[in-house]
Amino acid sequence: MSLEEKRLTAAAPQIGNVPKIAGDRLRVQLRTWWPYYLMLLPGIVYFLIFHYFPIYQARLAFEDFRIFGDNVWVGLKHFQTLLNSPSFYQVLVNTLIISTMKMVFFFPVPILLALLLNEVRGSSLRRFIQSAIYLPHFLSWVVVAGIFIAALSPSTGVVNEIRGWLGLAPHGFMTDSGSIRWVVVISSIWQSAGWDSLLYFAAIMAIDPQLYDAAEMDGANRWQKILHVTLPGIAPTIATLFILNVGLFLNAGFDQMFNLANDAVRDQIDIIDTYVYRLGLQSGQFSLATAAGLFKGVIGMLLIVAAHKISKRLTGKGVW
Amino acid sequence: MTSSRQTRFERIEQAIIVSSLLLMAVVTLQPILNLLAISFSDPARVPAMSGLAITPSGFSLDVWTLLLNHPGVQRGILNSLFITLTGTVLNIVFTTLMAWALSRPRLPGRRFLFVFVLITIVFEPGLIPDYFVVRELGLLNTYWAVILYKLVNAWYLIILVRFFEEVPNELLEAAELDGANPFQTLWKVVLPLTRPAIATIGLFYLVYHWNEFLRPMIYLTDSGMHPLQVVLRQFVVEGDKLSMVGIDAMSNYQAAGQISIRALNAGMIMLTILPILAVYPLILKFFTKGTMSGALKG
Repeated sequence: MSLEEKRLTAAAPQIGNVPKIAGDRLRVQLRTWWPYYLMLLPGIVYFLIFHYFPIYQARLAFEDFRIFGDNVWVGLKHFQTLLNSPSFYQVLVNTLIISTMKMVFFFPVPILLALLLNEVRGSSLRRFIQSAIYLPHFLSWVVVAGIFIAALSPSTGVVNEIRGWLGLAPHGFMTDSGSIRWVVVISSIWQSAGWDSLLYFAAIMAIDPQLYDAAEMDGANRWQKILHVTLPGIAPTIATLFILNVGLFLNAGFDQMFNLANDAVRDQIDIIDTYVYRLGLQSGQFSLATAAGLFKGVIGMLLIVAAHKISKRLTGKGVW
Repeated sequence: MTSSRQTRFERIEQAIIVSSLLLMAVVTLQPILNLLAISFSDPARVPAMSGLAITPSGFSLDVWTLLLNHPGVQRGILNSLFITLTGTVLNIVFTTLMAWALSRPRLPGRRFLFVFVLITIVFEPGLIPDYFVVRELGLLNTYWAVILYKLVNAWYLIILVRFFEEVPNELLEAAELDGANPFQTLWKVVLPLTRPAIATIGLFYLVYHWNEFLRPMIYLTDSGMHPLQVVLRQFVVEGDKLSMVGIDAMSNYQAAGQISIRALNAGMIMLTILPILAVYPLILKFFTKGTMSGALKG
């Protein structure tokens, strides 16, 4: 307890004795705390303007947008339009497919990387590998898309060069609707599997070394130690992150899809977020786009709150 | 585990583990090194270059000269630097102030303020309402629209509060006994103790601003205000070569006729990555040093 807080508590009983002047208590509180409220003020104003004002603006989803004059309230009309629209259905399905693919094929990779990293003995070798695989996390999806477009180029890309050695014909992965979703999964792994392994690696580091010593005494080999010490040790982290991923299921990755997309494959990786962008900012259908965004926002909120509660019950650690 | 006790089987196992991780590292770095090599190669030899090459074929600065002399790229660099530096400074100042106040356990209204912040993490009304807010505020086509967009990142705020809470109370009390006001206590006691945390969060803000392309693209319709990421996107992703290189630049610059698009792409990507590569050692340093690893998910 800091000094001024102590002073405040010391003053509190006296104030309590004269309940009729509640304003006094407020005044004492303010005299102590006003510098802190001053520090909070810019932040609070920021959150009000850039986070709460948009919530008010989202009323557009229930209105018909008019360029001139006032918007007209239309209730749930736009949501009905959306739910009856095949194109919205398609982006919803795409979102779910891509998120599911990432869950199945991406999610285990960071865990595997952390387990393997833990088996590397030389610390400078390990640091080199870590420094290399963390890097792409800090590159924008514009850059990552540029790198993938270059690497997957049918004429000059490294991937097709290697295919050539194996006697395979060049394949335009970026423009083939059958392979673009795999490009999405692989580019996710390339960009963030390394970085995501950091959380698991930190969890492994926190495991009591005595557990390994004891396992070794019992004659456990490498795999038995991984199975009976390491994995149980990081199980809460795995559970928390799995649940968090479910909570963020509708965030299939705007930046990624937006930059990997081209006309040949757009229908395969068009997700809710890119749909909102196109509908609203390119076609000017503001109300419908807002409704689609709000649909995602509300379901996303339910998912993340549920994820938080489940995680808290299961592991004692929430999402925030 | 001592090596003498390792069986042959275990040594093979170890070799497989290390080489698969090294393969992952190579697959991560090679495409970047390849682009770097291409950007410094003799433009005439670029079309024949292998995607596996990590050393330049011949040596030439033609690509870099062309890019750095291009007015669009020059403006992009200046815009990116301005947005990133201004944005990051404001981010650090306001996130720190807010976190310090929220870290005081007896601050009246503390719980309410946490909920106030958490709601913004949980519920996002989407892109279009954001756009309308910026429009209503008259911020379209101003740098402020981009700079202020994530002024205080709720996640970073919460992480910083956790760090400030770790500062020993005795130190805070001692400062207050000496008559320090809350601003002085923050400046003289809290900040020196939490420097790695502040630095890490600052670096994350920096990377965020540098990498942001969507908001500038939407909010800044004047292409002269576009940061490098938007210029790169137009060039590499949308394949808009003409506006990028420009007929003028093509004819004004002698070697330009020879420079392949592949080389320009490579140079442009490397140019955009460069600042990230420059701060990356710092990011690693603060991460390995600090205790952030468990708490931060960028």
